[in-house]
Amino acid sequence: MKLSLKPQETFRDDYTYSNSDEAILRFPFPFPEDNYMYSVNMEPHVRGGASPVYNAVFDIDEHYVGDMADRAITLDQDPLRCQVLPHMETAEWDTLELLMENLANDYPEHFSLTKNGDEWHWINRPLDLDQKFTFGRAETLPFGPFEYITRQVQGDFSLQDQRDNNLYMDGGMVTSQADWSLNFDVGMSFHEWHGPVPLAHESGVFDRALQYLLRMQYGKPVRRLNWTMTANPRLDTSPENYPLWGPEKAAITPENVGHRMCLRVELQTLYRLPRSNAILFSIRGYLIRLEELAKVKKWAVRMHRVIRDLHPQIAEYKGLPRYRQYVVDYFAPHDDGRVLNSGIGPEQDNI
Amino acid sequence: MSKNRPVYEPFALEPSGRAHLVVTSLDAPPEGIEDSFDNIEVWTVKHNGPGVPVLAAGGVRPFRSTTELLAQLGHRLGRETAGLRFYAIGSEAFIWDAYNIGVAAGLHSSEISLHRAGPFVRRVYCSHCRTMIEDVPANIVTCPSCEAALFVRDHFSRRLAAFMGVKVDAEVPGEIPAAEVFTS
Amino acid sequence: MKLKIEAIGQLTSGIRKFTLAPVDGSPLPRAGAGSHVVLEIPGPNRVWKNAYSITSAADAPAYEIMVRRVEKSRGGSAWLHDHAKVGDMLEVSPPQNLFAPQRKAKRHLLLSAGIGITPFLSYLKLPGLAYEMHHCCKPEDEAAFRTLLPFGPQVTLHTSRNTLNLEALLKRQKLDTHLSVCGPESFMDVVLATAAHVGWPAAKVHKESFGGATGGEPFVAHLKRSGMTVNVGREESLLDVMEAVGLTPPCLCRGGACGECKLTVLDGVPAHHDHYLSETERAANNAIMICVSRAKTPELVLDF
Repeated sequence: MKLSLKPQETFRDDYTYSNSDEAILRFPFPFPEDNYMYSVNMEPHVRGGASPVYNAVFDIDEHYVGDMADRAITLDQDPLRCQVLPHMETAEWDTLELLMENLANDYPEHFSLTKNGDEWHWINRPLDLDQKFTFGRAETLPFGPFEYITRQVQGDFSLQDQRDNNLYMDGGMVTSQADWSLNFDVGMSFHEWHGPVPLAHESGVFDRALQYLLRMQYGKPVRRLNWTMTANPRLDTSPENYPLWGPEKAAITPENVGHRMCLRVELQTLYRLPRSNAILFSIRGYLIRLEELAKVKKWAVRMHRVIRDLHPQIAEYKGLPRYRQYVVDYFAPHDDGRVLNSGIGPEQDNI
Repeated sequence: MSKNRPVYEPFALEPSGRAHLVVTSLDAPPEGIEDSFDNIEVWTVKHNGPGVPVLAAGGVRPFRSTTELLAQLGHRLGRETAGLRFYAIGSEAFIWDAYNIGVAAGLHSSEISLHRAGPFVRRVYCSHCRTMIEDVPANIVTCPSCEAALFVRDHFSRRLAAFMGVKVDAEVPGEIPAAEVFTS
Repeated sequence: MKLKIEAIGQLTSGIRKFTLAPVDGSPLPRAGAGSHVVLEIPGPNRVWKNAYSITSAADAPAYEIMVRRVEKSRGGSAWLHDHAKVGDMLEVSPPQNLFAPQRKAKRHLLLSAGIGITPFLSYLKLPGLAYEMHHCCKPEDEAAFRTLLPFGPQVTLHTSRNTLNLEALLKRQKLDTHLSVCGPESFMDVVLATAAHVGWPAAKVHKESFGGATGGEPFVAHLKRSGMTVNVGREESLLDVMEAVGLTPPCLCRGGACGECKLTVLDGVPAHHDHYLSETERAANNAIMICVSRAKTPELVLDF
């Protein structure tokens, strides 16, 4: 898959992050309708579909180099952003194999993997890595296998152990999360780690989602989209560093909301892992400044309607109240009352 | 209200168990327990008490502190066999500390029964500096280590046996709401 | 996927081993310990679908299975014993795992009888597994089973029920041990009952069940507004069949959880296999999730 990578951009401090026109048009806009409510919106993760981000098994985009550099900074400051409980070692190797094989297959100009029995040779050209190692022997890698490979793939990851008719988050690499703590949540069951989400429990969304995931089969991954908003294109919006990014939220004004405020969409994909029978959960985040989003007419109009009519408890949980009206007012001039088609596509080929 | 807040049942011995070990941070066993079954042992805490000379099955054994009780618990469970039912009675922090020792010894949650007793105070984990703050009575608390004013979320970690505390005035420093005392 | 029978071996008079290999040498989907595959076995009048545990390791280049010839067999195992030859091709499902070893258990007590040993053979290939195994078999089969098992105090073969003191064995296990059992139903029932009797919690007792069938009895669906009638076969879903005839009913997860594919039932009684409808909705029998549910009556009339 052809892909040109930006050499460097920042997701903190001076926030040089920006989306090219191509990146804007391929953005996974999460709202197919003019209103939003929780649902079990899972579908098979097959190539293609409503968004170009579905074309690869694990999507790499132009922000790859800067994204991985930001992860390295976060891990340097807080190594507990990556943890795997001891009984999940087999799942670590399953994960490494899944990610390496798919990256090499989908982006051969950037990644290659050659195997000679258990002697593997991995090359990551954008990050200038050349690693020979023995599959199954952790001492032949500079980090544990899960940490090693997730330092090279965009998005957060969690590892779920399946037991007792339940899923337990027994490992994760979490450096770009929407305000949840791996160190606090590691070891929790499915309903426990989803505890803070309002409304969804009452309508049984999590019960149904869990039943669906317990029956997931190897070779049949699934996906769904989730969303929040972030002040500034900041990846590390962790509870741990809330004292750093909290004030940035409070500094949003009607004048700067278009430039600083970002829609943050998570492409969540889930994979059954073969040896461990665990589930790998990829939470792949995409950030777009509101002023970039506004360049797509359909999305600008829809944003106005969705954010204006959002259920107040959902708005609160997603951290919107402080600036919700600024966002609504920013997109209002775009909304001429036209009838929009269902679906998430941009319906335009150029910016 | 978070959906992962544990809900506690009243204490009752589980008839399917072959042996029962009850640990409590209180200084006396639950009422009526000695008459119910053979093969029950109860560990209590009696400050300034005589201590425990030797560990053997059965009876009521007083420890000098919850620390001593919990320190001995792992060794004891390591010698037990299938069919044990394990019970913990006391403050929320104590019972979950006991739970984690039980799980480390191999017990499944269905073999463990937890009962909250005593005042409604919480152990709080400061998300910013990882300090554990004991016996917090209301939902705003200042971290003694990093001095952040924390809001205590209803989000509970069984592994840490603590509630999550996050800086309450991160967005606008000084904007701290009135604290609400815990009623559960 | 189509696999070829690469080798056949006779373990005991009633048990045959098969090695199933890819046709073109490409790697097989990995089968984690505890997995099974479903073989489509060709018979004169119908195709049998039988599930067999994979005994080989997850990284093996071929799948190994063992098949017991069932005396009163309707045909599947009999065909494999009497007719299958090296070089034959079989349609084999991708591996599915409903009996994975509990990763958090520090130690495993494995109890099996006869052909029930098969899932545990894949467990024993996991490096570093701490276990105690007791396998029951007929005296004439003991030598053959010994060839499958490592030598050491952690493995005991029993050729009569008298040497296996189940109650004592289960009572003396430490708290960190999980029990897994596989064998004839009567064997598993006795083990489970004894475990419960001596106080084992159900959560630490695991038995192999190859899972419920995804299919069911064939039925006919009349799609009123489309003016069409479709036949839904044993192994296909109503959604699959409707799509095959060119219809586009709404659907999303294809797993009975999301609610998108709900259709109104105008006549007939649906058989619910979904996770979406409430108890009341199920009892009312006027809705069906077409991706997973089927029919209790031979025909259904749907509003589509």
